[in-house]
Amino acid sequence: MAGVGFRRWAQALSKGKGSGISALLSGCRAASGASKDGLPGPYPTTPDEKAAAAKKYNMRVEDYEPYPNNGEGYGDYPKLPDRSQHERDPWYQWDHPDLRRNWGEPMHWNFDMFIRNRVDTSPSPVSWSTMCKQLFGFIGFMLFMFYVGEKIPAYQPVAPKQYPYNNLYLERGGDPEKQPEEVKNYEI
Amino acid sequence: MGAHLGRRYVTETGTEPDPARKYEFDPQFGFPERNEREMVASQEQMNLAQLPLEQRDYCAQYLLKLMKCKRDNWPNFLACKHERHDWDYCEHQDYVMRMKEYERERRLQLRKKRVEAQAEAA
Repeated sequence: MAGVGFRRWAQALSKGKGSGISALLSGCRAASGASKDGLPGPYPTTPDEKAAAAKKYNMRVEDYEPYPNNGEGYGDYPKLPDRSQHERDPWYQWDHPDLRRNWGEPMHWNFDMFIRNRVDTSPSPVSWSTMCKQLFGFIGFMLFMFYVGEKIPAYQPVAPKQYPYNNLYLERGGDPEKQPEEVKNYEI
Repeated sequence: MGAHLGRRYVTETGTEPDPARKYEFDPQFGFPERNEREMVASQEQMNLAQLPLEQRDYCAQYLLKLMKCKRDNWPNFLACKHERHDWDYCEHQDYVMRMKEYERERRLQLRKKRVEAQAEAA
């Protein structure tokens, strides 16, 4: 790109169009830059303005729909559906494969949010209600079973373990001043 | 691990001792005399060895001997078989005593139930 610009610049200089600085300035620009009439404009009211705006954004007139004119400052920028780039065909040969976008395609207002590293609007594999039912059903069932386990515990048929020194009164942090309750353990 | 006690758990809910409740019968009841369990390791010794609370039971003296043997014989980790067996056997006897306590409690409950049934019948 820079090489082409340099060549053109050298050609312009050699042809002698203009003089000095203006010759330097008449080099070529990259195609990615917007021209002055490619920038967004005011909200379109007449059908002519709508058609012009649609053409500007490389859209069909039927598809073009501007944002509502309620002072939020969108102008004539098109209102595209809120679908993230995750939902686009991964196998199609896009011009920009990681962005899944072709050159000249109208960009969503929140395009930087909808790239594949960020917000994903893909549909879930099952419906929302099914997902909710499954998750809360499982959690509810587990809580119910834990409750049942508290009421009807399963235990080995053994007495609790016996500890010396009044059930380890001092070791468990008992007050040394107070008299602990006497625990006597016998052999059997 | 022993007989399947599931049926008893379901059919005799009144007399199976509940682990949540304290055992209600006098420890001396039914015995002409009973020895108290002897604690050999002192509290100071257990503190110095920094034993966790669950291991400060009536078999702690064997555990302390085992720990000393292991420390003396490192890196030979196969050396302390005798001490380990002593400790394991003590723990096993402790567990058998727990089983016996449970069974004693259960039979006393059954006896109590029988006595009450006889008193009602009479």
